[in-house]
Amino acid sequence: MNVDLADEEHFVQKNSRCALCRGSKNLCGRERCPVVVKYYQRMESKPLIDSTDISGSSPPGVFVGRYGYPKVNVGPLVPPFHGDTSELDMPELWVGKKIDDIVKNRTQLVRGKYPIRVDRFDGRNRIADITQQMALSKRPAEVEAFFSKKPGGKIQLSDSVQPYGPSGPLKKLDLGTIKFDGRLDKAHFDTDLKATKAVVNLYEKDVYISKIQRAFSVGAFGIEENRKFVPTRWSITAVDDTIGKELREEVKDYRPIDEYRVYETWELDNRWEILMLPRTWMYELVEAWYPETAWNPHGRDIAIISSHERYEGRSDYAEIGGCFYAARLAVAEKLSREKRQAGAVILRETHPGYIMPVGVWNVREHVRDALKKEPKTFDTLKEALFYVSTRLDIKIDTWKKHSEVLRDALYQTRLSDFGVKRKEEKDFKFGEDRHWN
Amino acid sequence: MLNAEINSNVLKDLVDIVGTIVDEVKINLNEEGLNLKAVDPAHVAMVDLSLSKDAFEAYEADETELGLNLKKMEQFLRLAEAGEMVRMTLDEDENRLVLEVTNITQKMALLDTAGMTDPNVPSLDLPLSLKVKGKYVLNGVKASENISDHISITANPDGFEILSEEDEDMVRLSLNEEELEELNANEEVRSLFALDYFSNMIKCVSKDTVLEIELGADYPIKIQFSFAEENGSVRYLLAPRIEST
Repeated sequence: MNVDLADEEHFVQKNSRCALCRGSKNLCGRERCPVVVKYYQRMESKPLIDSTDISGSSPPGVFVGRYGYPKVNVGPLVPPFHGDTSELDMPELWVGKKIDDIVKNRTQLVRGKYPIRVDRFDGRNRIADITQQMALSKRPAEVEAFFSKKPGGKIQLSDSVQPYGPSGPLKKLDLGTIKFDGRLDKAHFDTDLKATKAVVNLYEKDVYISKIQRAFSVGAFGIEENRKFVPTRWSITAVDDTIGKELREEVKDYRPIDEYRVYETWELDNRWEILMLPRTWMYELVEAWYPETAWNPHGRDIAIISSHERYEGRSDYAEIGGCFYAARLAVAEKLSREKRQAGAVILRETHPGYIMPVGVWNVREHVRDALKKEPKTFDTLKEALFYVSTRLDIKIDTWKKHSEVLRDALYQTRLSDFGVKRKEEKDFKFGEDRHWN
Repeated sequence: MLNAEINSNVLKDLVDIVGTIVDEVKINLNEEGLNLKAVDPAHVAMVDLSLSKDAFEAYEADETELGLNLKKMEQFLRLAEAGEMVRMTLDEDENRLVLEVTNITQKMALLDTAGMTDPNVPSLDLPLSLKVKGKYVLNGVKASENISDHISITANPDGFEILSEEDEDMVRLSLNEEELEELNANEEVRSLFALDYFSNMIKCVSKDTVLEIELGADYPIKIQFSFAEENGSVRYLLAPRIEST
């Protein structure tokens, strides 16, 4: 029985099938996701590529499919024109753009598909080899792609991967001269360096997440015999998870923030309200999908789902999927820069203007964007929640029901409330962050 | 100085008992044995453990502090067969703990204990105490895990109850006075606890272990039991949740 009135007019639906699946798990049992198909139809008017030969500047972009794993399709993303196309595959630069512009930009990218086994490519296959080189390129790569038939007109949309345009089977691939990104290239040539270490090192050298992820997906890192292509979708989450974990363990050594903070950003009709609490690490993402938004297409109720982790992290995959890890990276990154730790809950309200999924970057980059701004600060949780309630349409009581971080903060007492004293604040000296408690 | 030999099962129990609270711990050693106190990072739970030298096959130690990474210790103990003896010595020059089981030696870097202070154990005056067999509490907690993320524990002069409720679902374990080993109660008290903490605390308890529980109204719970054939004792404290919604 649902008696949960979330705002003035909507009820809440928990664990809605579409919000959990997001076109990736076939939970409805249908062969193709009806939501995604709907977007395809909307896009059908796009002009088809009327040639079997495309010459253009790849951003550089590559794509590694996941169907049929370990035999998957790999290849470049190429637009049918030349120039500085780097922005087309660099989600770090997309904050502030309109959804239509993002989709329009991305759908110009034609995907070349060439089937390989993920672990058997070792330089003997020219197309796989070029795809790999492109992923390490510093600047857009001049590419000529020859298809065995005209690329199909369907565009691809998913919750984790940014959209791209038509795709077709590759026959041959030519690459102009490219200049490798020195940082990526160095990690690529270190065949004794573990992939996770390579990812973290590159992040610490300020390499964009999208670049690390792209190189990761073509098996550019790791101990030599372990290298293999990784489906783009998986590589995004693997990179977000690896970096996020590293940062999380680092911030646990710092002392908690001193106040309650609320950060926010509103983009693409998504409202992001990020509440940080003065406590040890705990993190949660709660998403509320209004009816008629991407992953609540049929409902009349608001679909709310959430995933959280406590201090020690979690070992199972988050219910909410890749966006849990993308947002965690952004939160841990902010705290790491400040050398503090905190509990954090992200309340995401997705309104009907968010009509189609654009990829997990939306979560990572918008949370990052919010955390770059000055927060509102509060002395008490009550004041912080009151402020949040003025920024979101869904009532705070509803968020509380779905948020483990909020419930913990509101209902879980601490031993210190009963006379177990923590180390006095005045004893604390900088440099003693470890074991601050 | 430390020169000791101990059954790996006992050491595994110790690591499990403390590991549910913290990953790193300061252990105080002296001639009589060891003891430690630790509070979890969220300040919700606390463990106070002591292990007498009688729990060891051989034991010789000076008064000293060991900063131990329990995760590493747990990994090492996976190499030991059940019941196999573990030799422990200190490499004081290198500040390492040396662990040996048959054919395997591991040297483990010790943590700097300078910043690791012993938490104060609060003197809580809890109005009610009882003793109950581990099997009952284990069952009550197991049943609750399918229902909710918290449990309520109630005791009164007639008995003891673990209750878990969420929406329309409910599960209850009730024990009357006869089913308890001991009951000292003049009033009824009830407190709520986070189930994940609670179930972690009793996961090393065997069915026959007798738990000594002290309880108050919306107050921390104290759970005490012994391990290592009565040579070790554990005391947990867990802060309550206050009534939600």
